[in-house]
Amino acid sequence: MNLSHDSNINGIRVKRLSDASFSNEQLNHFHDFIYDQVLTAALCKVSKEYGNPPSPFSFFVMGSAGRMEQSIWSDQDHGLVFTLKTDEAQEYFLKLGKEISEGLEIAGYKKCSGSVMASNPLWCKSMEDWEAQLGLWVGESTWESIRYLLIFADARSIHGNPGLVSRLKEKAFDEVKREHLLLRMLDNTMYMKKGVGVLGQLLVETHGAYTGSINLKETAFLPFVNAARLLSFYGGIKETPTLSRISLVSDVMMPDQDKSLYSKNFSALLDYRLKHGCNRDYDSGHYVNTSKLTKDEKKSLKEILKVGEQFYEHVRRMLERM
Amino acid sequence: MDTLFLMNSLWVMISAVLVILMIGGFILLETGSTRMKNAGHIAGKTILTFGISSIVFWAVGYGLIFGEGNSILGFSDFFYSGYDVEGLGLSGAVFFLFQLAFAGISLTIAFGGFAERAKLSVYLVFALLFSVLVYPFIAHWIWGGGWLAEHGKQDFAGSTVVHLTGAMAALAATILLKPRIGKFNKDGSANNIEGHNQVFTALSVLLLWVGWFGFNAGSTVSVDGAFFGFVALNTNLAAAAGTVAAMLISWIVLGKADVPMMLNGALAGLVAITASCAFVDTWASVIIGLIAGILVFYSIRFFESKKIDDPIFALSVHGTAGVWGTLSTGFFATPELATVGNPGLFYGGGLEQLGVQALGVVASGAFAFIVSFIILSIMKVTMKGLRVTEEEEIIGLDISEHGSYGYPELVNKEAAVKGSIEIPSTGNVPLSSQRPSVN
Repeated sequence: MNLSHDSNINGIRVKRLSDASFSNEQLNHFHDFIYDQVLTAALCKVSKEYGNPPSPFSFFVMGSAGRMEQSIWSDQDHGLVFTLKTDEAQEYFLKLGKEISEGLEIAGYKKCSGSVMASNPLWCKSMEDWEAQLGLWVGESTWESIRYLLIFADARSIHGNPGLVSRLKEKAFDEVKREHLLLRMLDNTMYMKKGVGVLGQLLVETHGAYTGSINLKETAFLPFVNAARLLSFYGGIKETPTLSRISLVSDVMMPDQDKSLYSKNFSALLDYRLKHGCNRDYDSGHYVNTSKLTKDEKKSLKEILKVGEQFYEHVRRMLERM
Repeated sequence: MDTLFLMNSLWVMISAVLVILMIGGFILLETGSTRMKNAGHIAGKTILTFGISSIVFWAVGYGLIFGEGNSILGFSDFFYSGYDVEGLGLSGAVFFLFQLAFAGISLTIAFGGFAERAKLSVYLVFALLFSVLVYPFIAHWIWGGGWLAEHGKQDFAGSTVVHLTGAMAALAATILLKPRIGKFNKDGSANNIEGHNQVFTALSVLLLWVGWFGFNAGSTVSVDGAFFGFVALNTNLAAAAGTVAAMLISWIVLGKADVPMMLNGALAGLVAITASCAFVDTWASVIIGLIAGILVFYSIRFFESKKIDDPIFALSVHGTAGVWGTLSTGFFATPELATVGNPGLFYGGGLEQLGVQALGVVASGAFAFIVSFIILSIMKVTMKGLRVTEEEEIIGLDISEHGSYGYPELVNKEAAVKGSIEIPSTGNVPLSSQRPSVN
């Protein structure tokens, strides 16, 4: 890939980031825009060297990018699916995946430490292989394979044919339902850090670089995100943003007033992180220094944490009653 | 020979063995609470300094404490040869051994404040000087018929004599040594330098807990009326209450059931009941232990906020809990049990005994701190510093002071993997970040 072009992308990102960080929606559209630039450049380069893509494909993002809930800093989680099942096609798309992930790294997105990237054969497969793999993950139902299914649930196509990802999701939802895996999935997302103590105080870090700060990702985001993801399996919802997942649950399953309470608080949480997160780098964006918050801000944070727990409990009870 | 004499001797001999085994408890406590690269050093120096302390106690320590003298110090019975002492009611050699063990424990506590950064030579010299210039004074004042004994100071088994004295020396040392590399950040926040083995730490607490039956119940120095059973009962109750209290307070305040904190609570309960175990009712033991467990939690946070690096929490466990334990008899000593001094505040004794206890704490604490501080300051100048070099601290005292690691395979492998020497960690990797990211 052309290096000067890439540094240019990073330049654009840094320059326009602050303009885009007024709302979560704007910010995530901006991330998508950067991704698009990198994708176009990568495709251009791979096409020049190896010819046009051998078949239709879809490049999708997962994790917070998949849910359109990225903070200012974000790391990479993505995959590829293509229709032609040949070794040559696989080789071609792995090269493309590698190019994209290199490009994204230059553009300021850290590579995924767990290697959930289109450059990894596990996440870059033909339609047929993907379907087989989803079936295998459901069949194995180990801690690891369930983890993969949960990761895949957040997939959102941002380039190519979105119908491919949509079909894979249907397959995943059906298999999970057929094998009654929802309760296992619930068990695997139970671990959450407590944000509020028994005395009603915010529980902050007592040691290390974030002393005095609360970890928003573990205490606040996880309950909302995990609960909404479980709902998506439960209700067959292909949309990925947590807010969409909540709004798309049928009223029979969850009363309207509950849905709006959960949505309102998650929305507030997204704004909260943008406004109060340290945002020096990927890690610091998850921490909020509580000593700098006003009394009202603390109160609303506690409310968010409380509602998050409530939402998760609500979903847990729903699934356990099934 | 008199049966009671033999039984007393046997009981105190068993207790002496239990107390000496507490040195093993401290080895596990100190190594478990610190890093792997220093484990061999810490284990080894603990045995070595107990050796030094034993010889010094035989030569002069015993005589300075129990010899004929004035209200400040004794001046006879040096180089004790094993003779019996008239009116003691048990073998003189057994009594000597029991007292020797206490002196060794106090020194071991003091060394908690030196952990992971003091030079080996500093341990050796300070072991000698503490055993002559610090411990014997306070032990004589309270147990050897000195001026605090004349006031009726109650310290049955040594909350002040053994624990507070050791903790004050640890405080002087940790102030002069300064914090370990990587303990505090530039913005003043503290990092948690985690111990390498919580199982060691938990086992150490069990070993100390059992050893404490020798420490406290053995301090009856007789089997008369089987009173040692009551003392052991009080000891166990306070330890149990301290454990539960520390776990609860850490769960309430921090939202997590912190294991090291719970273990410190057990030890704090034991330290606190050491002074009062023979003077208070069982319910009071539970209260004393509960308060100790809560105090130790806040004390640890206090010292950390003052940027005092106390690697194994000696200041809080032995110092703060030692002070509380000594004062506790001033509240809870009952008229029936107060064979020394007077009943406490809650038994109509007024503030008198509490005043004596407070005087004992202030005088003994100040003496131990000031003398230790002076000794260490002089050593700092004459020995060209108390602390190993930064490089030595980073590679670990096992290598720098002894030339071999306590865990050779593991530490060498770690160094090889990292391609260089270990850098102190500045925080813990949360469990969730070790999993493939879902979020």
